[in-house]
Amino acid sequence: MMPGPKIFRLARGIACCVLAGVLLSGFRKILFPADFALAVYRFHLLPGPLVNMVALWLSWLEVVSALMLLLVPRYRVAALWIVLAMLLLFTGGIAINLLRGSAFGCGCFGSSSAEAPLGMLQLLRNGALVVLAACALFAEARSRDSS
Amino acid sequence: MTTTAKRIGTLLLASAVAAGVANTVHPRRIPWVQDWSRQVEARARTAGIRVVPFSAVRTRLGRDAVFIDARPAEEYAAGQVRGAVSIPFHALEAHYGTVAELIDSGQTLVAYCSNRECDDALMLATELQAMGATNLLLYVDGFDDWQRRGGPVEAAP
Repeated sequence: MMPGPKIFRLARGIACCVLAGVLLSGFRKILFPADFALAVYRFHLLPGPLVNMVALWLSWLEVVSALMLLLVPRYRVAALWIVLAMLLLFTGGIAINLLRGSAFGCGCFGSSSAEAPLGMLQLLRNGALVVLAACALFAEARSRDSS
Repeated sequence: MTTTAKRIGTLLLASAVAAGVANTVHPRRIPWVQDWSRQVEARARTAGIRVVPFSAVRTRLGRDAVFIDARPAEEYAAGQVRGAVSIPFHALEAHYGTVAELIDSGQTLVAYCSNRECDDALMLATELQAMGATNLLLYVDGFDDWQRRGGPVEAAP
């Protein structure tokens, strides 16, 4: 027997809340933009002139996406796609720097100096969030199909 | 899908606008474009010297690393990383003996100065590298960061 739309809506709701919570916990990026710009620079993946612009934009993209997930159902799917794309990019960046042997943290919550150096734990955490975002998109689609 | 794509575009644009407005009024605003290549960290990277943060050096204190304080002697005397050796970059010639001993010891050498704005530690690290040091780290955030994060500190006797 196929699960009903309520189950999919519940799964989607839980996944969205977890993802939004994780994104909003990085509010320090907005309070201390220089710290986050430094964290973005330390990935050594962007040309120097783009570092600050991308850092400023990403920190707000996270917050806006989180608010859409929680408060604006019409924009939930769009926000989920953005979150999924961001998580895939971050995970790729972490993996590359892990291979390079970087001693810095990922800056996921604002400051790369204060965080533990990059490790498999961060990679697994991001991988789990990617799976969660994908599950939320799947549950969203199934809840629409079922209703 | 077209609707979703439009909404994605709207969110991307709204975030860019929010970032623009926020960075205009933010008390800690940053420049939109910054020359990162002049930062001490970028120069160290170019010189092939490994740059490390507090979290990476704190655990090595007193174990397998010797901290080298590149600041002027009076700043060292006022307070330094516990157990650090003073080798002020501007008085390097007077410390060649100590430098040679440290390099020969084979231990990891962690150079630091005050903060990210000073380059004494980078210059010292470059000299040490030229003298044959291989296990060399640059604690780029320096003594100010060490103190702020509660790293063990002592004053010279």
